[in-house]
Amino acid sequence: IATFLGRKLQPRPQNEVEETLKRIQGQKGVQGIIIVNAEGIPIKTTLDNSSTVQYAGLIHQLVMKARSTVRDIDPQNDLTFLRVRSKKNEIMIAPDKDYFLIVIQNPSD
Amino acid sequence: PIGQTSDELFSSQVHPVLFSAYKTVGFAEGRAGEGFVCIAGVRVAVVGSISPVCRAINISLPQVFDENGKDVTPQPLYQPDPAAVMSKHSKIFASDTSGGTMSDFYSTAYQTTTNASFAGPFTRSVFGSSTVSRGSQSTMESMNEEIEDPSSKRDISISLSDVQVRREEVKELIKEEMLDDVVDRYLIESETLWLLHMPAVSVSVDSEEAVSVKERNNLYMELCKNRMGNDKYVERSMQTFNGAPKTKEVQSEAITMVDAATTWDMYDSFRSAGLGEAALSPDTDKATSASSSRIEMEPFVVPSEDEPDPELVLQSEKFQQDLFVMERIILENIYQPKLAAYRQLPTLEDPDSVPKVVPTVVSRREESSLDEESTLTPALERLWSFSCELTSGHNVSSMAWNKRNPDLLAVGYGQFDFKDQKSGLICCWSLKNPTWPERVFTCESGVTTLDFSASNASQLAVGMHDGSIATYNVESREKTPVIDSSDCAHKHTSPVWQVRWIDHERGASGEDKGETLISVSADGRISKWFLRKGLDCIDLMKLKRTRNEKAKKQVGDKEKKSEALISRQAPGLCFDFHPTDSNIYLAGTEEGHIHKCSCSYNEQFLETYIAHKGPLYRITWSPFCSDVFLSCSSDWTIQLWRQDLFTPVLGFTSTQSAVYDVMWSPKWATVFGAVNEGRVEIWDLGASILDPTIVSLASPGVKLTSLLFATETDCILVGDSDGQVGVYQLKNLTVGEGTQVR
Repeated sequence: IATFLGRKLQPRPQNEVEETLKRIQGQKGVQGIIIVNAEGIPIKTTLDNSSTVQYAGLIHQLVMKARSTVRDIDPQNDLTFLRVRSKKNEIMIAPDKDYFLIVIQNPSD
Repeated sequence: PIGQTSDELFSSQVHPVLFSAYKTVGFAEGRAGEGFVCIAGVRVAVVGSISPVCRAINISLPQVFDENGKDVTPQPLYQPDPAAVMSKHSKIFASDTSGGTMSDFYSTAYQTTTNASFAGPFTRSVFGSSTVSRGSQSTMESMNEEIEDPSSKRDISISLSDVQVRREEVKELIKEEMLDDVVDRYLIESETLWLLHMPAVSVSVDSEEAVSVKERNNLYMELCKNRMGNDKYVERSMQTFNGAPKTKEVQSEAITMVDAATTWDMYDSFRSAGLGEAALSPDTDKATSASSSRIEMEPFVVPSEDEPDPELVLQSEKFQQDLFVMERIILENIYQPKLAAYRQLPTLEDPDSVPKVVPTVVSRREESSLDEESTLTPALERLWSFSCELTSGHNVSSMAWNKRNPDLLAVGYGQFDFKDQKSGLICCWSLKNPTWPERVFTCESGVTTLDFSASNASQLAVGMHDGSIATYNVESREKTPVIDSSDCAHKHTSPVWQVRWIDHERGASGEDKGETLISVSADGRISKWFLRKGLDCIDLMKLKRTRNEKAKKQVGDKEKKSEALISRQAPGLCFDFHPTDSNIYLAGTEEGHIHKCSCSYNEQFLETYIAHKGPLYRITWSPFCSDVFLSCSSDWTIQLWRQDLFTPVLGFTSTQSAVYDVMWSPKWATVFGAVNEGRVEIWDLGASILDPTIVSLASPGVKLTSLLFATETDCILVGDSDGQVGVYQLKNLTVGEGTQVR
């Protein structure tokens, strides 16, 4: 049984993924959602193709570096979440070995 | 050549290619058979004269044929007489029969060309010996200087030619026997070939040119001497012509530098090697290959179709969890100031956001009020509201905090009125996500009440309009209740208006230890539920109708007649157990009576408090004063009672609308909140007993139906008939400490 934050993961209905994605997309200030697979190919995106590819490539490198940093300090540790706050927006990345979930939000919008 | 006849050998052409520049004749160590081969193939002396002899030696003389089959092997330059050749050959063969090796043969053959006569005595000497000796080398060399003996040559040649035929068979015999013979080989330097010869020219001293030559010589010598520091000789560099370069572009793949020996990589490899799993180095490969080029093929297996792969990713558990967390983080970004206010943290202003103009106006107003009054007016500030499309249109009937996690809120949606009943809804909201509930349970009938259990924090008891009670486990994602009272024989037949989990310290019959579920319903019963082969209940109390004796006396007979009892039970609407003594509880009925009852007696009330003229919607003990309780009813009043007084101590009326809910503040002893149809009121008895301290009006068209204080912060939750649960913060409420009972 997979655990997340110590709690058991309950099986969720399959359409919940779509609903959750829709809800996130509709939240205030969310500019885009990108889901990239392990090879860097975008699976799902709400942005245009050029931005998606750009984000996917750059963020991949950043996440690799961040993960390497975290694990170099303590190999038993691992990166779970990454937030990059910039002047104009915030990029939130949930990395995993199979995919990256990237959400760009401008909360003051 | 063993198989070959001597005729063939003779006829075969000499192949000059196989001749090398130096002669390697002589005895060599090795097996007889080998030596035979070796010499023939490798070293054959050049100088065309030898060629015919060597031809015989060469076993593997290639013959070149052109397209027509004509033998076009290059002819040697020198064609000796076949006769002479024959003699030599015979001699050679003779040497073989003597037991000598090919080397002997070779040497003799070679020698015969230059000094043919010498071969004779040489071979003869060799014939004598069965084994080859080293000493023969010197003899051979010495033979070189010997003078020819033409006479002997002829003799030998004849003798050899005689022996020639015989030799064939003998040779074979020898070869088999002498295979293990040690054969000597000797390598001799060949003649020097001159490519360029510029002989020095010498001039006689007496010749005419002698003088000039001498002069020239002297000049040259001086030149050589003076060359070093002479001005005549200047170092001059020469410029070479560089060919015009041509740029040629070559495309190569980007070279990716990988920091492979990182700490974590080593840890991973070590761990995987120890566990015997597949090496994790593909991960680093994956990283590099992914970063280098996405177009190129991956070294490991890639699924042929792209379709199932992203789907798998999207449906994975981890992804759903990540989405869940992401949503919460986004919402945290949006609601951060509100949540911070809720938690009573100083709100951080976003340094990048454009400062809005509005706050300045408000602050000015506040400042002006500051001048007027010493303190800021207490107010309710709306933070946010829990609502979503699922809940819009439903009436909020009850709210309850989770006992273990004060951030979880359960809200029950159901109509109060009998006429417009729709299916009920229970939503469990988390503070971290005000836009979507964590759990949604739909019920057949409207939910009228709910309560979280304290001992089992995920258990939620729900009472419904059709009289059924169910418990849900909010941890699981199942939509169905854990247990339902529909099978119970004694279940309520009328709407359950309140359920509560009560913790009994001491049980009457020993089985009541722990928590039990108590419910009151409109069929006039207060029941205690327990789990025994299903949900079953026993009645704690039957609420009987009581007659107002005073009224009876006043009115007289007419009263009696008008009180035609439809049922002996009075519908119970609310109850509350004493905070410290779990045996005593108060029950409110539709008649407006409050009965104090005890769990030990289920026939009689201990006391009855009569003051309200309408159905009581809420009774609540004060959490600070154990004798004081509040009651609110639809007769527009809230009454404050003391346990031992049969008339209310205080009554509060502010508007002419039914008060649906009243609750003591968990933090301040003198504060309570009430909600009637149109507004929320916060009363501070320490400040004023006539007017509420804070009044907040509801949005038009919306009725406020329930109220809940937040346990740890200064916030209240107000539910309304549109399905929204608004969170308000109590601001500037300065309350004196201490409890007062007047």
